[in-house]
Amino acid sequence: MTCADVQKVLPEIMDGSPNGEFQTHLKSCPACAELVSDLELIASEARQLAATDEPAPRVWVKIAAELRSEGIIREPEAASAHPVLVPSAGRRWNAWWLAPVAAALVAAGAYLLNREPARQVASENPPAATSVSKETPAAAAPVVNPKPAEQIAVQKAPKVIDRGEPDDQAPMATVSTEDQQFLNGVGQRSPGMRATYESQLQAVNSYIRDAEAYLKQNPGDEDARQQLMNAYEQKAMLYQMALDHVQ
Amino acid sequence: MTDPKQVKATEAEAIERAKQGDEAAFEVLYHLHKRRVYSLCLRMVSNPAQAEDLAQEAFLQLFRKISTFRGESAFSTWLHRMTVNVVLMNLRKKGLPLVSLEETIESDEETPRKELGAPDVKLTGSIDRLQLQRAIDRLPPGYKTVFVLHDVEGFEHNEIAQMAGCSIGNSKSQLHKARLKLRDYLKFMRAEKAENT
Repeated sequence: MTCADVQKVLPEIMDGSPNGEFQTHLKSCPACAELVSDLELIASEARQLAATDEPAPRVWVKIAAELRSEGIIREPEAASAHPVLVPSAGRRWNAWWLAPVAAALVAAGAYLLNREPARQVASENPPAATSVSKETPAAAAPVVNPKPAEQIAVQKAPKVIDRGEPDDQAPMATVSTEDQQFLNGVGQRSPGMRATYESQLQAVNSYIRDAEAYLKQNPGDEDARQQLMNAYEQKAMLYQMALDHVQ
Repeated sequence: MTDPKQVKATEAEAIERAKQGDEAAFEVLYHLHKRRVYSLCLRMVSNPAQAEDLAQEAFLQLFRKISTFRGESAFSTWLHRMTVNVVLMNLRKKGLPLVSLEETIESDEETPRKELGAPDVKLTGSIDRLQLQRAIDRLPPGYKTVFVLHDVEGFEHNEIAQMAGCSIGNSKSQLHKARLKLRDYLKFMRAEKAENT
């Protein structure tokens, strides 16, 4: 068997059982042996890619909303038997506050992302601080006024919700004031959707926490930085979807 | 580690509750399968936003028909088949070839350039997962479909032939060409990385 013969039979043999002639050729031809070994490696590594990626929390929110609108998800009987009373004017939930909160979340994320690398790089390389700030103009000129972003960041960081999988590194499971207010508002207007938004909020908060922790350890990882930004956007989108849903 | 038997029991219970319209049950089913479904869509279309839409569509189609599920086949098999059909339908609508009958003509951008004097890079050992993902993203659509369905998702050639509407021989040939192309891409990426370090 020649190398050309190997090329011809390879598509069949790769997924079947190689014959003796083929095996003999591989033993005497390093090039063909390397080719077969590489193709086998690619095939085996590819299997590891199944189920590696996590969809954004908004996917379930959209599915649930669609199933609800089509009547496939039915409201629990208890909820329909006890309709929610319209809250009094003083306690009435005004959904409009969600829009600025959503915008602020994205802005805070953008600000933090632009601010963190310069600070970390500068602390790691003090003499190069000036040149670093030249290379990262966003750090010198944050996209939003730092004050509100700082406030949100301070509130957010230690108060991330997580009632999912236990994590030794995670802070105690608490709910931020904004998130609690958000969930209460959703619950008042649309009781059936509260659990959905709560679980999605937990997921996105957990994602933000993981991404922040990873980025702290790998400040130069641009993909991680982008993923954190996406997570902030997803949280903002959750707020926005709630706003659309309850109006 | 999650006990597979427990997952099966949870899934079976969730299916029955979902048939009654229980939202929590739908959510359990979604969370059990979301990564596999979304990853499949993402590998096939290489676009996160589009992959989200397709995953959403696959779950919706499944949940709309859940009352007809009798358990003759595994729920996951049913869902993944449906996901593949949703993705292939989307590719057909866009006029993209599911399986190439002939070698796709590539632009210069898609073809790795072999630099003169570049080291003879070997793939032996392991392949970086991110690099493999990027290489798959660069595959022409026809090659990508067969590679993802066979090597990533584990479908057999006869199943791929049925779903993509091609012959078994064609599926095998496309898979082989896809693997060869990936080998070139990965070697090129490795050489490029070595040059930059």
